[in-house]
Amino acid sequence: MKKFMALMLAVLMLLSMAACGSSGSAGDDEETTGAVTEGTVDAEESDMAYVKEKGTLLVGITDFAPMDYQDENGEWIGFDADMARAFAERLGVEIEFVQIEWDNKLMEIEGKTVDCLWNGMTLTEDVTEALSCSNAYCNNAQIVIVPSEEADQYQTQESLSDLSFAVESGSAGKDAAESLGLSYTEVTSQADALMEVAAGTSDAAIIDSLMAAAMVGEGTSYEDLTYTIGLSEEEYGVGFRKGSDLAEELNQFFKEAYEDGSLMECAEKYGVQAAIIEQ
Amino acid sequence: MELFWEQLPVVLNALNSGFIQTLKLFFVTLIGALPLGLLIAFGSMSRFKPLSWLTRFIVWIIRGTPLMIQLLIVYYFPGLVLDNPIWGGGEAGRFLAASVAFIINYACYFSEIYRGGIQGVPVGQEEAGLVLGMKKSQIFFKVKLIQMVKRIVPPMSNEIITLVKDTSLSRIIAFQEIIFAGQSFMTGSRGIRGVIWPLFFTAFYYLIWNGAVTLLLGKLEKKLDYFR
Repeated sequence: MKKFMALMLAVLMLLSMAACGSSGSAGDDEETTGAVTEGTVDAEESDMAYVKEKGTLLVGITDFAPMDYQDENGEWIGFDADMARAFAERLGVEIEFVQIEWDNKLMEIEGKTVDCLWNGMTLTEDVTEALSCSNAYCNNAQIVIVPSEEADQYQTQESLSDLSFAVESGSAGKDAAESLGLSYTEVTSQADALMEVAAGTSDAAIIDSLMAAAMVGEGTSYEDLTYTIGLSEEEYGVGFRKGSDLAEELNQFFKEAYEDGSLMECAEKYGVQAAIIEQ
Repeated sequence: MELFWEQLPVVLNALNSGFIQTLKLFFVTLIGALPLGLLIAFGSMSRFKPLSWLTRFIVWIIRGTPLMIQLLIVYYFPGLVLDNPIWGGGEAGRFLAASVAFIINYACYFSEIYRGGIQGVPVGQEEAGLVLGMKKSQIFFKVKLIQMVKRIVPPMSNEIITLVKDTSLSRIIAFQEIIFAGQSFMTGSRGIRGVIWPLFFTAFYYLIWNGAVTLLLGKLEKKLDYFR
């Protein structure tokens, strides 16, 4: 009997541990949101001070051309990377780019293993609720990727209904597929979604237009793929911890950089100038 | 094809540095888990019942939950729940957290192998030792433990080979081991965008390394082939 009790207690302990973990990451039930804001009330004035005191801005990114990616020497470049570097300079802190698993981004930022998410992040409702975000700085669209030889048949939304789609889980592409009532499979990244189409396991994929422009075509493994129609418009922003004053600081920085032309100059360097939003 | 030859050195370079990370985690786990596993084995065989229950309880939890979850808990728990991100955000912290999770996990598996090796020595040998006037501690170290070493090599080889491949789980906390490096070329890295083959190519690294490990452990097994 004693042993049985011990076993039950153990199971309870394990479950409570699991509960902590999941609520921390989801952050959508009442209690956790309360806890998070509570934790950030005193951080409200001090998130910028916290970063300055540390002396390093940890920027959460993934390897994602043309926003954040490594050059031949392993240096981080890209439109987002260059702008982040300039922002850190303005704050007077060092910058450290941290590659993260994008699925874990909320855990990373709440657990303070990164200070911001600056990686062509779509401002979905989930994101804006859980984080303090900057103003949108870049336009993007969700577009359909199909094999080139079939592209002619799929130029309208109606023509898509028979296809099976691959989409990144939790992405804006998934939302688009859902709202159009398409049949889709969720995979872990946009790159995986493309691989599904290349391998023929899915008929088509829905991914970001910026990424599509960089990833399909000559010199890639996806020479036989192309993009057809856009499904939904969206905007990119930078995410900070809930209640952080850094978001406002960044808006200010974007404004100044837009006015003095350095933002557009940077955008042209990476070929995203057409998508930039006026600040 | 020309493009492939252009990309190859860049990709190999990235995969090599990823594989060095993989090997680092592999060796650190072995160095930590082999002795820790023996300690846990002693704990679970202890005649002091509470200690033996406690260690068996821990072993049950560690073996009963996925390593992937353990990695997530070890890395994110301090920052999320204790509001104190002890590991930091950088590569070094991720490596440390992964090492801790792997050492604890593998020590628990190793401990059961050790226990099997020790308890598998026939009772007759212990009785013979007692008849010869040996002390219990002498019997343990001079009769049981040396035979354990020999007995555990095959099951240990199994675990060690699994460990080589399990290191890839650490990518869940963005530790940049070789599969992480291989996948980065799918989204664009070092001037190479949308390329799949590096991901599959990583399999060769594992295969070759595991070949070496198998040969080495096979040799060890032969060397320990005494008492026959």
